[in-house]
Amino acid sequence: MPISPAHIRIDRFLVSKGNSSYRQALNQETIVLAVTALIFLAAAVGLPGFIAPENLVAIVRSVSVLGILALGMGIVIIGRGIDLSAVAIMAMSVAWYLQLLNDGMSDGLAFAYVLALVLAIGAVNGFLAAYAEVPAIFVTLASGSFVFGFVRSQVISQDAVPVPPGNWVEVFGGFRLLDIPVEVFVFAVLALLTAFFLRFTKWGRYVYYAGDNPVAARNIGIPVRPMMVLRYVLSAVIAFVAGLLTAASLHSINTRVVNSTLLYDIILVAVIGGIGLSGGKGGVRNVLVGAALIGIMLNAMTIIDIPLIYQNLIKSTILLFAVIADGVLNPRDEQTAQQGDI
Amino acid sequence: MDAAARDAAAAQPVIRLEQITKAYRGVPAVKNVDFELRRGEIHALLGENGAGKSTLTKIIAGAVEATSGTMMHNGRTVAYASPSEALDAGIAMVFQETSLVPSMTVAQNLYLGSEKFLNRLRGITISAQQFLQSLNFPVDPTALVETLGAAKRQMVEIARAVHHNAEVIIFDEPTATLTPEEKRHFFALIRRLKAAGVSIVFISHALEEALLIADRITVLRDGELVSTGETAGYNREKIIAAMVGRTLSGELYRQRNPGDIRPAGRRVLSVQDISMGKMVRNNSFSVFEGQITGVFGLIGSGRTETFKVIAGIHKRDFLRGGTIELDDKPVRYVVPREAVKDGIVYVTEDRKTEGIFETMGIAENLFSGLLAGGHEKSAIVSMKEMHALAREWTGTLAIRAINDNARVVELSGGNQQKVVIGKGLVERPRIVIFDEPTRGVDVGAIVEIHQIINRLADEGLAVVVISSYLPEILNLSDRILVCRQGRIVEEFSPSEATEEKIMYAAVH
Repeated sequence: MPISPAHIRIDRFLVSKGNSSYRQALNQETIVLAVTALIFLAAAVGLPGFIAPENLVAIVRSVSVLGILALGMGIVIIGRGIDLSAVAIMAMSVAWYLQLLNDGMSDGLAFAYVLALVLAIGAVNGFLAAYAEVPAIFVTLASGSFVFGFVRSQVISQDAVPVPPGNWVEVFGGFRLLDIPVEVFVFAVLALLTAFFLRFTKWGRYVYYAGDNPVAARNIGIPVRPMMVLRYVLSAVIAFVAGLLTAASLHSINTRVVNSTLLYDIILVAVIGGIGLSGGKGGVRNVLVGAALIGIMLNAMTIIDIPLIYQNLIKSTILLFAVIADGVLNPRDEQTAQQGDI
Repeated sequence: MDAAARDAAAAQPVIRLEQITKAYRGVPAVKNVDFELRRGEIHALLGENGAGKSTLTKIIAGAVEATSGTMMHNGRTVAYASPSEALDAGIAMVFQETSLVPSMTVAQNLYLGSEKFLNRLRGITISAQQFLQSLNFPVDPTALVETLGAAKRQMVEIARAVHHNAEVIIFDEPTATLTPEEKRHFFALIRRLKAAGVSIVFISHALEEALLIADRITVLRDGELVSTGETAGYNREKIIAAMVGRTLSGELYRQRNPGDIRPAGRRVLSVQDISMGKMVRNNSFSVFEGQITGVFGLIGSGRTETFKVIAGIHKRDFLRGGTIELDDKPVRYVVPREAVKDGIVYVTEDRKTEGIFETMGIAENLFSGLLAGGHEKSAIVSMKEMHALAREWTGTLAIRAINDNARVVELSGGNQQKVVIGKGLVERPRIVIFDEPTRGVDVGAIVEIHQIINRLADEGLAVVVISSYLPEILNLSDRILVCRQGRIVEEFSPSEATEEKIMYAAVH
């Protein structure tokens, strides 16, 4: 037994660093969940009609498009990137698709055509961020503006493009099961798929490794750059789905949404739930928590009839509160911020 | 009455700590330490990683607030709330990770925080020039800090401390990144500071240095002060025994028996004339199976870069880049992934920035190797498999943690290093390149890591160990290569090699 000192050090380890890993710290996700529950309870008690099943379904429906977009954003942010082109891709791809349909192109052909474009935009985003090493924030800002400008000026003539009557998009939007609208199902299915991808597939795990430490991931042999391209492609496809769903429920797509605060709401949903912008942290659960908070809050504020401008104020205050609470409850001291030596 | 007289006569200590305790989340990092720093002495603070050296000195320097206990500075009880407050009072700390601003010039860094309201670049450059000259530091004040090597950064740090007229200067592992030549300069400087009446606290892992330069030595273990006294009363064995609470003499860094040297197996890697920019120039050598090839070189000699080229992390020059042959077949890797698939794994010298995944636990860190290495064929990942893998490897490598979900950043340096090694070994490599495998690792873990490395060579792998610590090279290698100015310049067999010979080859 040449390494008897081992035993001494085990004891020491148990004494000095034992319980910190066991203790489930009060993190941002749990804080936001608690706040959500509080608001929910308050609204259930104080607001007439809030707790009614139809209203609860309406809440989920109202955040489903936002939530779907936040799933795509979440995948990108976990991989230490950001996708500011999501809303532009969502609105403009569908606007183009509907325009092609209105011009008389067949369903299948138009769909294939637009899907190819969506994949291409995602691939270009990913390629520029991964291989040309342009910061993702600039790449996607530029590609978002380009997509919006190009489609708005060259393809469509008005802000809104209607769904042709009787088209499958319209039928799809009218689908109900047990009085639950189709948006809720799509959101649920996509959330499950994303969760499965991130947690249980090899490529999903690569997202976390690359987001946590890209250099270490590269050195260990993870294909960091191809995976980055994949993330932007996924985000673009998810945005396309969200756009189709919007068109399905509203029977048209209004491209002015690109210049609304929707993009910031997406990032808000992802970040407020606890997906760290520094990468490697969070998952679908965090998106769901964030979406629940925003959905319940918006619904309650609408019932109380708070003007839109105040709603934004309240949303941002809550985001700040969540981030500050996380910082106070989980301070980064030398113990966690520095390696080895204390 | 005697006591009072003695106190006055003994030129009261500059710093006196009484019963200092610091706890993180209720866990003490420093426990009831009494510490005394006398005027104009060099005081070495020794201990394993996690012994509380850094915490103790940070308390003195105002970077960390003590949970309890008192600190006296020149006889007055003080509690500095921030490093700048302590600096104003004459206590400066030179940190392990340098606290310079990389994008600023040397002069700007020297005057950082003490700029006048109207700050003239030319003015501070000139006075910085004069000041650096007065210290005999060959540093260009207009150079950007990011372009400087480790030694020169250290000089700037020291100059900054001296510039503030500090009467106490704390050095946290100052010599870890210095070459032997630079170390000599550094020690000469420390002695000059001492002669000028400055008191110096000196944290180090290198015991020889402490024995060489310190007037007094204090040893910490598990946050407690276990031994303190004049340097004359100490030797290596006594310090190590105090540090680890056991005697370890002979286990670490013994000279090798000629009979133990492993013969070279099949040649797996043959490198001819590879070049990469200015760092690697026409470098040629071979690596064999079943033995440890030690590579010694000073910082900046291109040893790390050479092996990063081999592992696919850097790309060699496209034209006249030379050839690398693996099993007599030429290879040219664009990304590390290709090298990993061919069985070449590089274990980094810088585990914090390119080794560990810091938001993750031990299991996930180890699992990254399996997922990346192509041995996990299925696209679906099983958490059960991950934990089984973690159990197996924490056992094999003796990684000590409460469970395999423990976050890697919360582990000691030695255990972190084992995780980084394990992550590479999970990929089942044929060639393992260890770059400074025991940097920032405590004594007990060094022994274990050396055992792991030896075991790999015994199992028939081709092992490369890059180190700038001579005893480590002499102790591990079956073959010693010396790197200088971007190429291997000499090869020794361990039976003929001595520290002097190797150093001579590395410097001249």
